[in-house]
Amino acid sequence: MPHKEKDFSVIGKRQPKLDGPLKTKGRSQFTDDIELSGMLYGKIVRSPIARGRIININTTRAESLSGVKAVITNKDCPGVKVSPDRLLLCSDRVNFIGDEVAAVAAIDEDTAAEAAELIKVEYEPLTAVFSFEDATAKDAPVIHDECKNNSLDEYNIDFGNVDKAFAEADHVRIGECIFNPNHNCFAEHHVVIADYSLPGKLSIWTPNQSPLYVQKSMGGVLGISESNVRVFNLNTGGAFSGRIGPRQQSFIAAILSQKASRPVKIRCDADEEFVVYPGGGYFKYIIKTGVMKDGTIKATEATYLFDCGAYWNFAFNVLLRCKYHLIPQVYHMEAMRWNERAVYTNNPPNMYPHGAAFLQLKLAQETELDLIAKEIGMDPMELKLKNAVAKGDTTLTNIHYASCGLKESIKKAAKKASWKKKFGKLPPYRGIGIGCGAMNSGGPDKSGALIKIGEDGKLSLFVGLPDMGQGSHTAMAMIAAETLGVTIEDVEVVAGDTNSAPFDIGAFGQRGTFFTGNAVRLACLDAKKQLASSAAKKLGVKPSQLIFCDRKIFPAKAPEQALLFKDIVSETLHSKDGKHIMGKGFYHTSSPTKEPWVSTLAYSFGAQVAEVEVDPDTGIVILLKVTHAHDVGRAINPLAIEGQIDGQVFSGMGQILSEECIMEKGKVLNPSWLDYRIGRSFEVPELEYDIIETNDPYGPYGAKEVGEGPIVCTMAIANAVNNAIGIPVREYPITPERVLHAIKEKSKK
Amino acid sequence: MKSIITLNVNGEMHEIAVNPWRTLLDVLRDDLRLTGTKRACEQGACGVCTVIMDGKAILSCLTLAMDCEGHFISTIESLASSEGLHPLQQSFIDNGAVQCGFCTPGVIMSAKALLDENPNPDDTDIKEALAGTYCRCTGHIKTVEAVKKVAGSNREVK
Amino acid sequence: MRLPRFEYLKPSSLHECLELLEGSGHETRVMSGGTDFLVRLKQGVISPQKVLSIRSVEELNFVSEDDKGDLQIGACTNLSDLLRHPLVLTKFPSLHHAINSVGSKHIRNMATIGGNLCLAPRCWYYNQTKQWRHAIEVCYRTGGKVCHAISGSKRCHAINSSDTVPMLIALDARVCLQKKNSERWLSLKDYFKDDGRHHTVLEKGEMLTSIVIPSETQKARTTFIKIQHRIGLDFAIGSIGASVKSNGKEINLSLVINSINSAPLILNKAAQIIMESGFSKAAIDKAAEVARGETGAVTNLFTSAGYKRHIVEVLVKQALSELKLMQGKGGTKH
Repeated sequence: MPHKEKDFSVIGKRQPKLDGPLKTKGRSQFTDDIELSGMLYGKIVRSPIARGRIININTTRAESLSGVKAVITNKDCPGVKVSPDRLLLCSDRVNFIGDEVAAVAAIDEDTAAEAAELIKVEYEPLTAVFSFEDATAKDAPVIHDECKNNSLDEYNIDFGNVDKAFAEADHVRIGECIFNPNHNCFAEHHVVIADYSLPGKLSIWTPNQSPLYVQKSMGGVLGISESNVRVFNLNTGGAFSGRIGPRQQSFIAAILSQKASRPVKIRCDADEEFVVYPGGGYFKYIIKTGVMKDGTIKATEATYLFDCGAYWNFAFNVLLRCKYHLIPQVYHMEAMRWNERAVYTNNPPNMYPHGAAFLQLKLAQETELDLIAKEIGMDPMELKLKNAVAKGDTTLTNIHYASCGLKESIKKAAKKASWKKKFGKLPPYRGIGIGCGAMNSGGPDKSGALIKIGEDGKLSLFVGLPDMGQGSHTAMAMIAAETLGVTIEDVEVVAGDTNSAPFDIGAFGQRGTFFTGNAVRLACLDAKKQLASSAAKKLGVKPSQLIFCDRKIFPAKAPEQALLFKDIVSETLHSKDGKHIMGKGFYHTSSPTKEPWVSTLAYSFGAQVAEVEVDPDTGIVILLKVTHAHDVGRAINPLAIEGQIDGQVFSGMGQILSEECIMEKGKVLNPSWLDYRIGRSFEVPELEYDIIETNDPYGPYGAKEVGEGPIVCTMAIANAVNNAIGIPVREYPITPERVLHAIKEKSKK
Repeated sequence: MKSIITLNVNGEMHEIAVNPWRTLLDVLRDDLRLTGTKRACEQGACGVCTVIMDGKAILSCLTLAMDCEGHFISTIESLASSEGLHPLQQSFIDNGAVQCGFCTPGVIMSAKALLDENPNPDDTDIKEALAGTYCRCTGHIKTVEAVKKVAGSNREVK
Repeated sequence: MRLPRFEYLKPSSLHECLELLEGSGHETRVMSGGTDFLVRLKQGVISPQKVLSIRSVEELNFVSEDDKGDLQIGACTNLSDLLRHPLVLTKFPSLHHAINSVGSKHIRNMATIGGNLCLAPRCWYYNQTKQWRHAIEVCYRTGGKVCHAISGSKRCHAINSSDTVPMLIALDARVCLQKKNSERWLSLKDYFKDDGRHHTVLEKGEMLTSIVIPSETQKARTTFIKIQHRIGLDFAIGSIGASVKSNGKEINLSLVINSINSAPLILNKAAQIIMESGFSKAAIDKAAEVARGETGAVTNLFTSAGYKRHIVEVLVKQALSELKLMQGKGGTKH
């Protein structure tokens, strides 16, 4: 049921993060801050070649180095696979530069590093392939025997009568976009502590987005019953779609710990960051769009070629198959076609950049819309507004929108940015662009929550949802405080230990606010019902007549009879019936469509206008201003929402304008935060926001996601650059060199 | 061979046995257990290891511990007092400049060094002081704003 | 990233330092700020047995003006301290601008002018960890026989990326090189060699101890431009230091480019065009075009060779245009 509009006591306030004091004091504990008794330090030996056979591994000298407590190779975990195509440690083959071959654990990092150097591995190099074209060429070497032609996945699906729709279109265009690899670059490097010193019991400390997935994955791979894998996730130093599951080093640390019978910590150096999680890979999109002369979109065909690198991440399989939902997600169209092909190469295994690679697809689609708008002489903002989805719509792929503020977002962003005054009227090399996006609030899944109330009226809220900085725990506390009529200071969120956490698949897929938020609300309503029952008896009214507000409980018509919240808790506990007020909540949905994952009940919508200035001499692009409007359903915490928009604009800016892993034969040439170009304080634009509330009927208090919605609107920046120089740049990021190249191409025409 | 050095950290003297190749960051975190100062790139590009030495924001990952004798070092742990948080810490909290918190100590110390040197910095001064830090979560937007607010209140006091 | 083992020595005087350096090669190295040195140590591209920490040597830490008005700077003078020094700020604002563009504020708080002058040339294939470099053939820089930056080349093409170098050369700076019992002075432009591996003329046991900027250059119109992708923390894509003096009859112009080749590039031919023809638009365009040709063999490191040459042209045009604007106004842009 939609939540009725009313004055909220807690929700909607600009609430600073509850853990702010600890974090600003430097007292929040991150994994690398932890030192366990007897802990060892691990170092991994990695392949220096992109493809080859392992002839011999000699660990003798490493094993005899003083201070070394364990050395492992595949012999210590034969046949153990972390995914269908990847062994925990390579046995006879290596498939990318950085592939894990052996590991050591020693009393300190220096000794571990020295021991790692003493491990001698003999390789026979084999021919490697590094591009989609080379991997699929006729005589290309086969990277995984079971995968002929290195073709990992091929999937095609049509919705509607595609050929007919294109045939009827007044105007059709085809365009191509290439996206080079980039990296999520979270501040806290990959680090793991594994304690597998007791048989059958594994404890893991690692920053991650899904303790449950780490638990299940590690338990499954190592043959440990899930509940005997305890995952601690105290604080996570950024995630940005990049920490959903365990990495190789988590498993390696566990095997080392088992062998040494001591906890082992493995921490990644800067350049290792670029191979243990390489972020987004190389994508190519070919987009065909058909429109009528009045701008109505008839059909879209998207062909998606993806280099997944040396190994396949199974979660990605799901994501790939579901990405087609994005095509008709924002704009009406009669028909669409999705062609997808993923191949193996000997590049580091790719997953997804910040935004789960949704940005890249939406960017390809929307830059084409801008171009087609130009070709038919239409304002792109008007074209997008004309085709924009609305509340009550059902998309071509059967996604239904119970709430939708897209049109309002477009209008607000355009107005605030003075679109009409600027579009087509700016001086040379100044540009303005608009991008529109939608994002699912999770998928069909489930979350649990538990609440325990102390006699002092304080709430202990147990959730399984991590907080990587997005403010999820603060939002959950706000929901709990609002539901039970207490203040946020009365709520403590208990999380970060799978032993005490309720079921929750984690903080990814933009699901936290929606799923865990609903579970929290249900848990609090459960507790509220128990309290209301006690208070109603005492006050001689019906429970439904009671109001919970300001730490008091009172009849709506007789506030002077208010009882203190904590007193009711205490009295209920010590009453003749004796009941400890505890609430449990469980929120689950099944897929509203047959397709998994990307179909869910609630979507956020946004529109962004970007303004840029291009230096025609150097090609350097300055992002001057971004105006963003976003439909979040309900702004649980506007301060946190602004923070999300800020970070995602920054990330989108980087992915579009500067961030690139420069690859050469499977090596990242710039694996450092100095040479990998993420902007800093001088690069950020002026930013204005509009937060729109459409009060979603399914979200907790009407709230929807905002965890990745804004980033899929940042294609506005690309559109602005294309507008500024009058020709599209088709390879990303839009570096100064690519800008100059495009300007030169334009001058030839 | 280890040498005994005496370091002045947050106003306290510490006698520590160190090998020459230990950085100030190593000593702060591993010997003194002051883990507020973080370890990440260790190449001078991220600023999470920022501490203040003799009034200047420096990178402890690129400073040998043995070069620190006779200098005054302060870390994030020195900011809050029994009376409460430092204005910078409070401003970061109030203005949403803390998200994951990993870079927060380094950014705050960079800002503190700036404000100690120049209580009324302009926007460029603030951005310059923070340009050596890295914050993916906030995109350097609210962090700069949080410092501006403290600088602004310094101006009001004047 | 861990530092390797080494012996640490902290000389308390220049004399002691030179004694320790006597006759040594790369097994003994001096370290002042350490911001680049320690990174290379962690990466394992250098592995000295002894590290001489010289940042506290008082004789190397000074800024003064002698009675001729020449500015004298000790090699271990901290960059942030230099920025605050009134002599630098008031008399050499373009140099101030160049110093202020080095790294980040954190780096400048630690780094020294001598360290920046001696900054080791950079290369994608060199400035990497040992583990990364196992994936490639050993190059000239690290004792091998290839250059990955320019295939088939007989030398290292790592890029000199110092920001202060082009400006100091344009200001006719001289440097003092000392070893035990000897001292020599040379023009800063003669200090560098166009070789990424042996990029200076320093001899065994020798170190750079001070820099002098002649007082005459205070009368020059000067400018420094650094083109970088990211403001506040980035090496240059290309940079230029320029200075011009004119007595009404003659123009004495110096144009120095850096971050393009292994050594700073002194654009003699481009400067000659202006000195002969003045600062007309046609002459400026011509000079910029000629400058492109003076770059010689250029790598694809960090940016493509074509882009680098283009940037040289852009830098020359911008610098000359700024110097022209200053005509009649006197002084510098900064």
